[in-house]
Parts: sequence; C-alpha cells; structure tokens
Amino acid sequence: MRDLKTGRRRAATSQAPRPSLPRRAGRALTPLLWLGPSLALISVVVLWPVIEMVRTSLQDITSSGVTVGYRGAGNYRDLFDEDGLIPVVLRTLLWVGGIVAVTMALSLALGQLLNARFPGRRAVRWAVVVPWAASVLMTALIWKWMLDNYSGLVNRVLLDLHLIDEPVNWLAHPAEAMLWMMWVAVFVSLPFTSFVILAGLQTIPSEVYEAARVDGAGPLRTYVGITLPLLRPAILIASIINVINVFNSFPIIWAMTGGGPGHDTDTTTTFMYKMAFYDQNVGESGAMAVVNFVLILVMVLMYLRAARWREEVR
Amino acid sequence: MRTDGPQHDFSGNLDAGALRARVLEHVDHAAGRRRGQMNRHLLGVVAAGLTVALSAGGCGKGSSSSDDSDGKSIKFVAAIYDEKAQPYWDALIKKFESKNSGYKVNLEMVDWTQMDAKVKTYVQTKQVPDVLNYNAFSDFARDGLVYKASEVVSPATLGDFTPTFVEQAKYNGEQYGIPFISSARLLFYNKPLFAKAGITGPPKTWNEVRANAEKIKKAGAIGYGLPLGPEEAQVEFYSWAMNNGGGWVDASGKWAINQKANVDTLAFLKDLNKSGLTQPNPESTDRKTVFNQFAQGRIGMSIGGPFTKAGFIEPVTKNLDFGVAPLPSRSGNEHNTPGVMDVLVAFKKAGGKNKDAIKKFLDFVYQKENTSKFLTTEGFLPVTRSAGDALSADPYMKQFVDALPASRFAPTSNPAWSAVAGAVKQDLGASVADDDPKKVLDKIQETAEKAG
Repeated sequence: MRDLKTGRRRAATSQAPRPSLPRRAGRALTPLLWLGPSLALISVVVLWPVIEMVRTSLQDITSSGVTVGYRGAGNYRDLFDEDGLIPVVLRTLLWVGGIVAVTMALSLALGQLLNARFPGRRAVRWAVVVPWAASVLMTALIWKWMLDNYSGLVNRVLLDLHLIDEPVNWLAHPAEAMLWMMWVAVFVSLPFTSFVILAGLQTIPSEVYEAARVDGAGPLRTYVGITLPLLRPAILIASIINVINVFNSFPIIWAMTGGGPGHDTDTTTTFMYKMAFYDQNVGESGAMAVVNFVLILVMVLMYLRAARWREEVR
Repeated sequence: MRTDGPQHDFSGNLDAGALRARVLEHVDHAAGRRRGQMNRHLLGVVAAGLTVALSAGGCGKGSSSSDDSDGKSIKFVAAIYDEKAQPYWDALIKKFESKNSGYKVNLEMVDWTQMDAKVKTYVQTKQVPDVLNYNAFSDFARDGLVYKASEVVSPATLGDFTPTFVEQAKYNGEQYGIPFISSARLLFYNKPLFAKAGITGPPKTWNEVRANAEKIKKAGAIGYGLPLGPEEAQVEFYSWAMNNGGGWVDASGKWAINQKANVDTLAFLKDLNKSGLTQPNPESTDRKTVFNQFAQGRIGMSIGGPFTKAGFIEPVTKNLDFGVAPLPSRSGNEHNTPGVMDVLVAFKKAGGKNKDAIKKFLDFVYQKENTSKFLTTEGFLPVTRSAGDALSADPYMKQFVDALPASRFAPTSNPAWSAVAGAVKQDLGASVADDDPKKVLDKIQETAEKAG
C-alpha cells in the first residue's frame, strides 16, 4: 500500500509538466515589480550621490571646476593637514550633542503637556507645529535680526530689564553666537521631536497606568517605571533623526554667523562649503563630505549600540 | 552676506510629511494594540527617516538645459547687481533679437550670492553658458575653457577698452577677459558729524584719520566704520595697505602678502579697533551694516564705491549730507584707489560654432549707448573710452571716474587669486580682533603659495 502510494506520487511529480522557462523567470521576477520602485528610488536618491561624493573626494579638480584626473588620497591628506579641522569636528560634536540632548529633554516635557487633557489643547498642538512649518532659513534670519547689535530686539529687552549695560554684539563672539544658534536649532527641532514623543505616549495602554495606580505608585515612580521605558522606541527614533539633521544643519549657521569670525563657529558642514567656494577646492571639500558622512554613520551606529536597539525594535 | 546654500533641511522638514502621516496613523491605530505592533510601525519610521535624512546629506547637482548647436542661439548668464539688472538685459536682448533675426539669446539671471556655486556647477557638469558675466576669468583661461577676447569681439570693440582694464584682463599675455564694468573706492565722510566734532576737512594722512576718529567719538558717534567681515575684507584691507606701500605681490609679481607694510597696516587698523574708534567687532561686520549706520549719522568715515550712494545710503536716508574724498595714506603724499573690474567671458562650445553669435551679441552690448545705459542705471564706472564721458556729467560719479586712472588692481590675472581672496575673506578679520596680524598674514601667504 505504502509503496504503491509513494510510487504513484513519484509518478505524479515526474509527469507534471515543468513550468516553462519564461514563466519561471516571470515568477522569480515578480517580487521585483513590487521592490523595483523603492530600489530605484534608493539607488538614485541615496546610493548614486554617495558614490558621486566619494568619487569627487578622490579627484583632482581645478579652481574653475574642471576635473583633471584622480589624485588618490591627496585631498584627504590636505584635509587632515588643515589647522581648523580638529576644532571644527569637536565643535560639531558639541553642537550635535548639546542640541539633541536639550531638544529631547524639552520635548519629553512638551509631549507630556500635549498629551494631557485640557481646554484649548488643539490650539497648543498647532502652536507647537508652527516653527516646523516655517522655513528654517527664515527662522534663522529673524533670530539674526533680533540679535542685531544696533537695533535688535534682544538687546533692547535686556537693556530695558537692566540685565546688560550696553548692547552686546551677540553673533560676533563665538561662544555667545554658538549658544544662540544652538537655541535656534533646538527651537526648530522641537515640533518634530515632541510630536514623535506624543505619538509614543499615546501608544502606552491606560491599563498599565491603572495597574500602577492600584499598586500605589506615585507620579514620579509611574513616569520613571512605566512612561520612560515604554517611550524608549520613540525616544530612540527621535534622537537618531535629530542627530542626523542637526549634524547636517547648514542654514542656521550660514545665515547667522557664516561660520565666522574665522572658523570659530563652523561645523563640518559649513567648513565643507567654505572649502569649495572660498578656498576653491572642490576635491578637498568632497573629502570633508565623505568624512562627514562616515562620522554620522559612526555616531548613529554607536548610539544604536548603546541603546541596544535590537532588543527594542523587533 | 550669503544667505543661501545647499538646501540641507533641518528639523526633518523633508521627511515631515511622511513621518507625520506615519505618526498620526500610528496614533489612530495604536490604542489597545500590543507593543510588538507598535515596534514594527516604529521600525518603518526609522527606516523611512534614515533614508530621507541620510540622502539629504548628499549634494545635488543643478541642472540646466544644454542648448541646441545650430550656432544661432546662445545662453547668457548675467549677474544680478540689483533689481534693475534684469529689465535692462531683457530690453537689450529684445532689441538685439529684433535687429538680428534668427539669433536668440537665452538669459539666465544669477544672484551674486549664488554665482560661485553656480559657475562651478556649470563647469563640472559641462553645461557652461556661451557668455558669462563674472568677476574672475584667469582660471577659465588656464583650463582652456574660454575664447580669447579677439575671437569673440570685433577689432573696433576691442580697441575701445581702456588700456588699464585690458592689462587686468590678460592671462599669460593674452586677453581672455572682456572688461564689463569697473568700480573704485573713496573715503566717505559725514559732514554734519565732522562739523559737530570740529573737524574742518577730510583726513589726508592716517594720523589725521585717527585724530578725527577720536574727535568723532567724543562727539558721540563711531569714528571709522571698518567692515573686515567675510563679505569683502580683501578690498577694505587693500584700500589701506596700498596707501602704505603694501599690496598682494612684490615688484616681480610674487606673492608678498606677509610683507612688513601689510603687517603695519593691520597693526594700525587693529589699534583703531582696540581704541574703540571703530564699530564693535570689525571682523564680523559687512559693508551693508557699516553704511546703514553711516546713513543714520552714527559713523563718521568709511570707504565706499560709486554704488554706495544709490545702493546703501539713499535707501536709508534720502538726503544725507556726506562728502567723498581720496583715500588717506600713511604719508599723505599718495592717494591710491583700488580698482575692481567685472568681466564677460565667452566659453568654447560646439567646436567653435557659437563664436559668430557671441560676436554679434557682444558687439551689440558694447555699443556706446547700451553700455552707458547699464553703467548709469547700476552706478558703475566705464571700461570703454566711449562710455566714459556719459558718467562725468554727474559730479558724484565724476570723482570716481577721475580716480580710476590711478587705480591699482588685485592680481586677478593670476588664477590663484580667487583662492587667495577666499582665504583673506575668511581669516583676515581676526587680525584686528584677537589674532596676531603677522601670523594671520603668514598663513594667507602660505595658502597663496600653495595655490600657485
């Protein structure tokens, strides 16, 4: 019986006509139909610029923009010989770390506020979105004017409050300028971040809070023991995206100080731009771009590792 | 000041739509679901966010259409000196096209703040225009990108250029740049402030500048407005250095940026700043800020050009009572003025087929009435003999026209000049603040020697 069955089955499989070659190829390619558009998008929008960037960093490009040939690691050697490079990289790390930390702290509070039920909540939510809708360049320019030495609003207010005796040229002093620009960066990062936090807060089931209340946990204990751990994925996402955006941030610094005086408020992004258009050195600028890219990747990977994201996002 | 640049988006504006949609959708569905699902959603958000954010870091290449090669249409990229530039070119091109049927000029106007980036992109993507209005030409000539002037303008037009400018438009002894407009610098001073401070006339020597600045300070205003920020530090510095026997190169044409005369010049300016005789923080001030204060009667003296009156002073204070005087020198015996020249260059294209159309167009541009109209609307000085008289009728402009023959130029015919000017813009200002002038100049000298 058994033999008969298997024999028949074997016969059946051998007799069944194999699908024709075009059909098999078609079946193998079907997934591509669905994957294709996103693969094409990724290769055109992400991979191609990256390849082009690396290629530029290896090329010998004249001051007028003509490519003469390849010069190997020459651009990188020039870049690492720049006196300004190390301070600029350190400043960039401070810039990213400071902005993201403050943004996250403020957004946790804002998210909590936006999640609470109170009359006019909708209006407050909209108000928080506004800086997001405004152009970053515009926001930066407005702050630049507000901080103007001669007719800025900030000096006026501080003078009237007798906090300062004479106008301060905020954006001309590197330390003060950096702090103000970091504040503007925090200001424009808040909406996105607090809304991600808000989304995270709304996913925490109310039963968990009820259980905590029944067990007699106070507000602080509830926040530290329940809210924060359950918010981890949201915090993770918000901080990674902020790190990348802040790192690449160009308009705020360019509009407010232009990286000056000298290179004293440059981050790697503005430094890179100045190399191409002040120093007329596109190749070295390309090398800086590659270093920038690698720095972001390393920072994000280190962060993900520290946050043990695999355990969270699975 | 540059306010633009690659449009790197901040704060996730780029991914805003996608992310917000995800986030909101998430909010709707999340209630009552298990965490596993939430995490899957979030993973999607992470992926989308990373993709968009990382790609925002890459640089984009501008696209401009390459034209047909029938040799009768040319592309002309002109600089936006101010809002009157575009109407001028539109009208001129219309007139040109009606007089030369079959020929076509495609105009693209580019703001000065974007010009450098645009021009580099044109060259790198091999999409150069036929004619470009720019402030540099020698590296194009070195790289074999542009025609000699004699190939694209008629001998009559070529002979009309003032010899001073022809000299500045040469690379290796051949003229490549086609002089377009010029400019000079003189000392502007506020007459009511001078009267209030008890000063009789404009300063001739540096000692007088310092003494006047002190008197103006006592009268409650800023003595001298010193814009040494990145915008145009090279011209402000050169205006002082050349009147102390200094400059960019030595007699043999070699870079001499850290020469003693230049160091002394910076020491003088630094002393002005440290004595509180200039506006605060010259190292980060641009001309616009200085002349805004000048026009409001808060600055006694500053160096400006022919365009300063219409461009900077009149928009703020219509009838400011100010005087214009030769630049003061250390000795008081010489009064040099820096000359500045912008050029047109014609790019080699389509195996030389575009030459004929370019020649027709450029000869038309350099007709006397066309050039002088541009100069008077924009407030620049002539580069041709024939347009010279048109401007001398205006007493304000005449002072600049008269200063031109004695003008000295930055070494624009050296292809390394753009890189040197770039280094000066970035680094020179610090020398009048906290850095040592000699060290700053040494570093710029090093950059210059490296660049060629």
